[in-house]
Amino acid sequence: MNTIIIDGLSFALPLFIMAIGGIYCERSGITNLAIEGLQGFGAFCGALFAVSIAGSFAGNSPVPFYLAMVFAFLGGMLFSLIHALLCIRFKANQVISGVVINILAMALTEFLTKQINASIFGAASNKFVLGVSARLTVPVISKIPLLGAVFTNLYPFELVIVLIAFLAWFVLYKTRFGLHLRACGDNPHAVDAAGIRVGRVRLIAVMASGALSGLGGICFAYSISANFSSNIYSGYGYLAIAALIFGNWKIMPTLGACLLFGFARSAGYELVKVLGMPSTYQDLVMLLPYVLTLLMLIFFSKKNHAPRALGEIYDKGAR
Amino acid sequence: MKKKNGLIQKIILSTIGHEKRQTYMIPVFSILISLIVGAVVIAFLGKNPFLAYYNLLQGSGLAPKASYAGYKGIITDFASFLNALTPMLFAALSVIIALKAGLFNIGVSGQMLAAGFTATILIGYSVLPAAVAKPLVVVIGFVMGALVGALVGYFKHKFNINEVVSTIMLNYIIQYIVSFFINTFYVDPVSRQSKTVGAAGRLTLTDVVIGSYKMDIPLGILLAAAGIVVTAFLLKKTTLGFEIKAVGSSVRAAEYAGIRVGRTRVLAMMLSGGFAGLAGVTYYVGYFASIQPRVLAGTGYDAIAVALLGNSSPVGIVFSSFLITVISKGSTYMSSASGVQPEIASAITGVVLLFSACGAFVKYKVDRWKEER
Repeated sequence: MNTIIIDGLSFALPLFIMAIGGIYCERSGITNLAIEGLQGFGAFCGALFAVSIAGSFAGNSPVPFYLAMVFAFLGGMLFSLIHALLCIRFKANQVISGVVINILAMALTEFLTKQINASIFGAASNKFVLGVSARLTVPVISKIPLLGAVFTNLYPFELVIVLIAFLAWFVLYKTRFGLHLRACGDNPHAVDAAGIRVGRVRLIAVMASGALSGLGGICFAYSISANFSSNIYSGYGYLAIAALIFGNWKIMPTLGACLLFGFARSAGYELVKVLGMPSTYQDLVMLLPYVLTLLMLIFFSKKNHAPRALGEIYDKGAR
Repeated sequence: MKKKNGLIQKIILSTIGHEKRQTYMIPVFSILISLIVGAVVIAFLGKNPFLAYYNLLQGSGLAPKASYAGYKGIITDFASFLNALTPMLFAALSVIIALKAGLFNIGVSGQMLAAGFTATILIGYSVLPAAVAKPLVVVIGFVMGALVGALVGYFKHKFNINEVVSTIMLNYIIQYIVSFFINTFYVDPVSRQSKTVGAAGRLTLTDVVIGSYKMDIPLGILLAAAGIVVTAFLLKKTTLGFEIKAVGSSVRAAEYAGIRVGRTRVLAMMLSGGFAGLAGVTYYVGYFASIQPRVLAGTGYDAIAVALLGNSSPVGIVFSSFLITVISKGSTYMSSASGVQPEIASAITGVVLLFSACGAFVKYKVDRWKEER
């Protein structure tokens, strides 16, 4: 039981932070299918930085890990500018732009990883080895049965994510900027009439989405795969999108959806282990989150209310 | 600002300013820019970009290599190139039919796998004679792909699920299910792939000796040519084609005109899935003869680039799929001859996509400039 909670949380929280980014972007009126590519590119930047400075720190120093997080944050933000440029300035189709960014990120990072490995580190490899980040256990609280598992074997990034998630919640619901952002997604003309520049608000929202996606990506790279390779593109970004649709574009319900994904996944793995099934059955477990996503979308898509201006190009002259 | 841009504006206007030429000049521009970007990267890596691009042609059998092994020649490479081109054409048709209906099918890879796997286990491993097996493979491929496509269309119509999300979920689901079955029942212990299918069902004739050369002849290329004609006819001359395009341009207007939007969408996705299924069988039971578990073919994603680049017209994709296949097929030879990583091929394709996505903006901007003059 404890393993299910521990592993479930470490999967759900990176997903959650990516979904929050998605919520920011979509609440401002920009469809974001690019989360997958953004998290991959962010993770690439973070991993590249971590690998290149790893030599100057002791083997178990946590500094490269935190710096990697910062760079993943920045890398994701940088790459999201393409989405912003295409969707806001160039008025391109937002769905197409998202898919283009995903494909571009996948191709680019795969090529660069191999090229950089070959020409700088002198190794023919298609991944950056990162290792798994250290874990920490909160002393007293972790002794509480069941609930204690939440505080056991935590990845440090989980704490960072919780902090940022709280901040993001506060900004979106309790500040003037958050109000503007949400208004941009529902009625951009009203926002414009109030003298606020819609394009600017949306630009910030897209950048926030990129940054948070990058952060989520590096967390996956440091926990599940322990390296950066094309394996990072396993559809986490799309799971995040499904989670936010399921969560009705609100932060707290989205957290619930992410937790559900995380626990379904870890429970499935536990089940394979407990029942002693052969390893090929892992494939069946791997599909659980995806099947769950589809089912949830089937049950909840209709009732949900997407932001009203979502996916529409903002045209000042339109009525 | 305006003065400075005067000359560039003039050049751009004189090349892509003309309304009629825009349809192909904008894609040509995207390709040129992407190739230049690629060349700069290759030059930056210390390799000769012209040589590298020439290697791409050599690898695709469009230019002679320095030396060939026995029974091999430029024609062998070209036959192999056609083998790779066939699934690409089908996949691109799949993408454009969905695009015309305003749907974005990025599940082509998954639909390909579902169709390829079903055809493999039902026919590929059977002992049916070739005359029966080959048509059956084609039919099964189409039906299986169409079923998956129809499911996506139904989800969109009935539950309002964004087709991008549902197709991607299906991609993963299909990928893991197929991988489970292959690893449990059909695995070849040496290659770690599915066991190879029999020659009878395979849509590619292997090792055919013509003159002094041995080559693999793809039968599917004829089918793909027919598919292009049928699609062009369907979209231009039939009611269904008109309805699909109407739904794609404006759902509300289509509804107002009495078109049943849901039905049209499901039909369009079915056709789209069907073509993806054909891409799947020509890929897994033709070009290749086995399936690698847990891997999706890149063809499905490249097909999006092909479709956008070809202005989502059935004729346009002939050119664009030719180009994208040259890049992806030739990259293996390029990496062995020039030492450039083969992954640069998909990176170039990605850049092509990026510029194609800007197409609408370029058109808008050029039109504005024309009005100003």
